[in-house]
Amino acid sequence: MEEQTEVPQGLIHFAVLDKALDLARANSLWPMTFGLACCAIEMMATGASRFDMARFGCEVFRPSPRQCDLMIVCGTVNKKMAPAVSTLYDQMPEPKWVIAMGNCAISGGPFKFPGQYGIVEGVDKLFPVDVYVPGCPPRPEALIEGILQLEKKLTGRRRWPVASAS
Amino acid sequence: MSLENLTKKFLEIAVQSAPPAPGPDTPAAEPQPLVVATQHAVKGYDLDVTVPPERVLDAARIMDEAAFMLESITGVDWLAEQQLEVVYDYTCLVSGARVTVRARVPRATPELPSIEALHPGANWHEREAHDFFGLIFTGHPGLIALLLPEDATFHPLLKDFSA
Amino acid sequence: MTQGTQSIHRETFVLNLGPQHPATHGVLRIKLTMDGEYIEDAEPVIGYGHRMQEKMGENRSYAKYLPNTARLDYVAAMFNTHGYVCAVERLAGIAVPERAEFIRVITAELNRVASHLLWVGAFLVDLGGFTPLLYTFDDREQILDLLEATTGARLTFCYYRFGGVCNDIDDDFVAGTRKFIAHLRSRMPMYHAFITKNIIFRKRCEEIAVISAETCRKFGATGPVIRGSGVAYDVRKLEPYSVYPRFNFNVPVYPEGDCMARYRVRMDEIEESLRILEQALDQLPGGPVMAEKVPRILKPAKGDCYFNVESARGTFGVRLVSDGTDKAYRLKLRSPCFSNLSLFQECSRGLLLPDALALLGSLDLVIPDIDR
Repeated sequence: MEEQTEVPQGLIHFAVLDKALDLARANSLWPMTFGLACCAIEMMATGASRFDMARFGCEVFRPSPRQCDLMIVCGTVNKKMAPAVSTLYDQMPEPKWVIAMGNCAISGGPFKFPGQYGIVEGVDKLFPVDVYVPGCPPRPEALIEGILQLEKKLTGRRRWPVASAS
Repeated sequence: MSLENLTKKFLEIAVQSAPPAPGPDTPAAEPQPLVVATQHAVKGYDLDVTVPPERVLDAARIMDEAAFMLESITGVDWLAEQQLEVVYDYTCLVSGARVTVRARVPRATPELPSIEALHPGANWHEREAHDFFGLIFTGHPGLIALLLPEDATFHPLLKDFSA
Repeated sequence: MTQGTQSIHRETFVLNLGPQHPATHGVLRIKLTMDGEYIEDAEPVIGYGHRMQEKMGENRSYAKYLPNTARLDYVAAMFNTHGYVCAVERLAGIAVPERAEFIRVITAELNRVASHLLWVGAFLVDLGGFTPLLYTFDDREQILDLLEATTGARLTFCYYRFGGVCNDIDDDFVAGTRKFIAHLRSRMPMYHAFITKNIIFRKRCEEIAVISAETCRKFGATGPVIRGSGVAYDVRKLEPYSVYPRFNFNVPVYPEGDCMARYRVRMDEIEESLRILEQALDQLPGGPVMAEKVPRILKPAKGDCYFNVESARGTFGVRLVSDGTDKAYRLKLRSPCFSNLSLFQECSRGLLLPDALALLGSLDLVIPDIDR
């Protein structure tokens, strides 16, 4: 009988193994090389010499969605592009996370106005978003903070203490 | 080719327009061709030519023979007059002189000939103007949407457009 | 079966490049018809980055639209703002103080250097060499530091205002810029040694994708593309604006028309920009940086005007039509990349696919500038 052979969800936990896996995932996020607009240049700067995302194990930019587990939506998604972005998200294997980088990806940003005909007002209308990084465009430090935030979401603790305001 | 020679050539194809009569008693002035020499430092172009829509191809030929480059094609929607203005910007690569060619078409039938055969760069500019204003360039090899989605049926830069 | 050459089975296939592809620098899509490794037809499909810029120019007031111009060609944002601001000033008849004009030239040329440095890095990534990117970004960050201290932004500068600039430059900026000029001059031989003389790079670029001067004119290509085809077309020389006539600089021209020529033009332009910067810093006058009595709500007179600036990618033009209100009646943005890309279909026929990507990289495209 099929009902009997089915294992109910959540019956078996590999608590320690899950934690170890999460730690491994958080320290080797593979983002997708996917530049939409202005924010992509700041994403490039984050990956390049000064800011060096490799310090957080996050430098392996992959052009193919099949090899990625992190999608950084950096820029405006317009209605012509939206089906392609959704397809890319669907093509990424689970588990996968999304960072909405910049105001355009969060809400439409400076391109949102009454009677607009072109853009999608926030990428979270297309698929779920884990971390929002505001800014127009956000500084590379802000993107790194977004990645630290995502790591915290994965492992439950923060890699680095929050810098004090002073 | 000097601007004087260009002016002479444009005089043959430009729109004839009479300035409005100054008073009810005085007769209207003789119609003059709309070829205006402008100051580059004030306007940004040296020659302002208005041609009838069916003559834009002749204007393009004059510009091509003078080795001018087509810089852009754009539309302006004059809703009050129920007209669409099409503006062609040409520039000379040697002297930096700039010529603006205008043509006005009625909003109901926005048709004018394509200049794609003479200036291949016009292909995209005309498709863009078609996207934004619904202008129809007859003779264009493929007047399909360029910037808007393929299935778009609206023309967003018309003044009476609302999403 | 028929006899002779007609019996040879010949087949083409369609290959879709983009809109998400690392070599297309964003969201460009190209429909390729391939005959084996050779391109039969390449049709660019654009519009994936269309952001309604011209519509917004019509329904926002002049000052409110100003920050959006920086999001056109964001790699060289100063030039877009410069073109827009100058067009509005021309129509409204606002005179700009001399010091502000100098500061505009200095910041614009710094931005040109930053843009070309980014291009060199990205172009080499297109050709398969990742390391130069790390060096050029290192130099570029130093420019961004200087500009950030003055303008408050790293990328999308909104620094120019109608009638001047919003913030005066200080001694730190002047000293820092001089230091940077010396630094970059010392780095240029290194770039030439390990990029220009690199045999792999030269094999990928020399005599690849030759564009004739006539093709450039027919398609309206400007900037380093037309200068790499032997035409010395530079708006800074032919339609002088701002204080450019006061500086002594050359327009680099290479007649070959191949990818290498376009690369060399840009490398030479970096050095020419450094020369302009040096002269501008030497001649920098004192005085205000903002014109007096600029109305808070601008209402330029009825009419239209055109303004051209030489952006890092070519001629950026603004056609402004005013109906006398506080919003533009029509704002046409003539983007250089739009025309530069339009010749791709013509010039890529018969090329190998990797060579076509070299051509695409050498055009230096910024997609949201094309799509607006």
